[in-house]
Amino acid sequence: MKKLLIGALALGMGTGAAQAADEVTLQLKWVTQAQFAGYYVALEKGFYEEEDLDVTIKPGGPDIAPEQVIAGGGADVITTWMAAALAARERGLPLVNIAQPFKSGGLQLTCLKESGVESPEDFPGHTLGVWFFGNEYPFYAWMAKLGVPTEGGEDGVEVLKQAFNVDPLLNKQADCISVMTYNEYGQVLDAGISPDELVTFNYLEEGVGMMEDGLYVLEENLDDPEFADKMVRFVRASMKGWKYAEENPEEAAEIVVDSDETGAQTLDHQIYMMGEVAKLTAGSDGALDPADFDQTVATLLSAVSPDNPAITEEPSEGAWTHAITDEALQ
Amino acid sequence: MELVILAFVVWAAGTFVAVQIARSPGHDAMPARIAVPVIFGIMVLAMWELLVTGLNVSQVILPAPSVIASTFARSTSTLWGDFLQTALKGGVSGYLIGCSAAVAAALAIDRVPFLQRGLLPIGNFVAALPIVGIAPILVGWFGFDWQSKAAVVVVMVFFPMLVNTVQGLADTTAMQRDLMKTYSAGYWQSLLKLRLPAAMPFIFNGLKISTTLALIGAIVAEYFGSPTRGMGFRISTEVGRLGLDMVWAEITVAAIAGSVFYGLVALIERGVTFWHPSQRS
Repeated sequence: MKKLLIGALALGMGTGAAQAADEVTLQLKWVTQAQFAGYYVALEKGFYEEEDLDVTIKPGGPDIAPEQVIAGGGADVITTWMAAALAARERGLPLVNIAQPFKSGGLQLTCLKESGVESPEDFPGHTLGVWFFGNEYPFYAWMAKLGVPTEGGEDGVEVLKQAFNVDPLLNKQADCISVMTYNEYGQVLDAGISPDELVTFNYLEEGVGMMEDGLYVLEENLDDPEFADKMVRFVRASMKGWKYAEENPEEAAEIVVDSDETGAQTLDHQIYMMGEVAKLTAGSDGALDPADFDQTVATLLSAVSPDNPAITEEPSEGAWTHAITDEALQ
Repeated sequence: MELVILAFVVWAAGTFVAVQIARSPGHDAMPARIAVPVIFGIMVLAMWELLVTGLNVSQVILPAPSVIASTFARSTSTLWGDFLQTALKGGVSGYLIGCSAAVAAALAIDRVPFLQRGLLPIGNFVAALPIVGIAPILVGWFGFDWQSKAAVVVVMVFFPMLVNTVQGLADTTAMQRDLMKTYSAGYWQSLLKLRLPAAMPFIFNGLKISTTLALIGAIVAEYFGSPTRGMGFRISTEVGRLGLDMVWAEITVAAIAGSVFYGLVALIERGVTFWHPSQRS
């Protein structure tokens, strides 16, 4: 009914205005969930429309690399992790960070206490679940920092390519698994394991944190003033969406569930996720703090190895810009 | 731009030479039969290289053959390790288990009509299960290493093998079976001397189909959890890292492994079913 009304309104306003709106396609890093609540809120609440933008949000998934989508022209702007974006840049796909809605990261390694892991020194001899597909860089940087080999053996850790669920921990196939504070950690708790049975390491606290969801565009597009202007309006509306989502987590979660075309998300889990995501976005007004960028780069460069081929040298000039946020956030 | 034009020149020249060979009197002789596909292959690679370079196609979309070749040469030890893990440990062991189980099941079905009504529908059911559905379940049961990949392969090859063998065992005529009876041959004797040999063309059909299925199953199963080696692991990881040259190198390995595997089975078939009309040249 709501959609019908909006449709009728749009018709009523005349087709002229609707056609004039600038089209923007956003490719998400993962499926529709509260991790991207800001964009869905901006869409549903009409923040994009106010900026005269016609935004299409494309959900991602386990086999979608946003970097590849933007390289193929399937999106104007993507959300991805900084390590993956810098890796793409070094491989000849010049991505530029135009905004950083996530001030801190939610990546953690969660271990069962009964496996005997209490501190990072206990890792050798254990099996750890890691996400690949561009999400493995923080892990390898951490292991390099600890000096722990990742080839198995007595002094090393056995690495499993973890699917995007928590089964390996529940089935005791892995002693530790990767979790996001806002998603899989909640799933572990939902499965009936209480927090005091778990030992959790946060990558940020271990000093190997890397910037997570940021907005990235192709460098060559930014030279076009029309495109840059679109991005200014897009970032402004998106950040308005994020701040609205932080203040109204339940409404945001509901918008996310309504926007989920697969129908796989439940409201309870999305409310939990929105609460956790809000903690990560709270410190950001959208502009990237250059110190955070430098820290991510330093962490990556401290751990260059065949296992961790994210970047081998300082990223070339222009990997991030304040040009968009300076104008958007005046 | 010159490179793009050159690509079309290569195309024209390659086609011209191939057509000339095909029209020449010796077109049925061995050298011509090898030369034409080789010329075609070289032509495709050359055009690929020239177009990708000439049109400035991003390496993230399609790497040039020369880049893939150098990645291949640089990472042979990784590729070999992946091949061992996926093709040999996961693929071949699953293939052997699955095919022998299917032949045994087919013999049981053939012997006991009751099973024919019970087992065949179950085989049908298993064949209809999508691999993306069973792979995560089998990874949960058999762990992350190659055992779960072999289990996926077993499920994938079982049905085609079963159907082919059942069909093959039914391929003798009443006349032939009666002749065996007049020799006073028992069940096992007529099975070994008449019906199994007669079923061989069908069984080899199943074996050949299963070679490719086994490789696909072993690779795809690694998407759902694996140790940090294996062809499927490497492909899915390198796509995420935008290492498309490595992805293509793995595809090359898979293509070679699949062809060799298929060729080996076809060679054995030649030796076993030499009497069959399809093997006469």
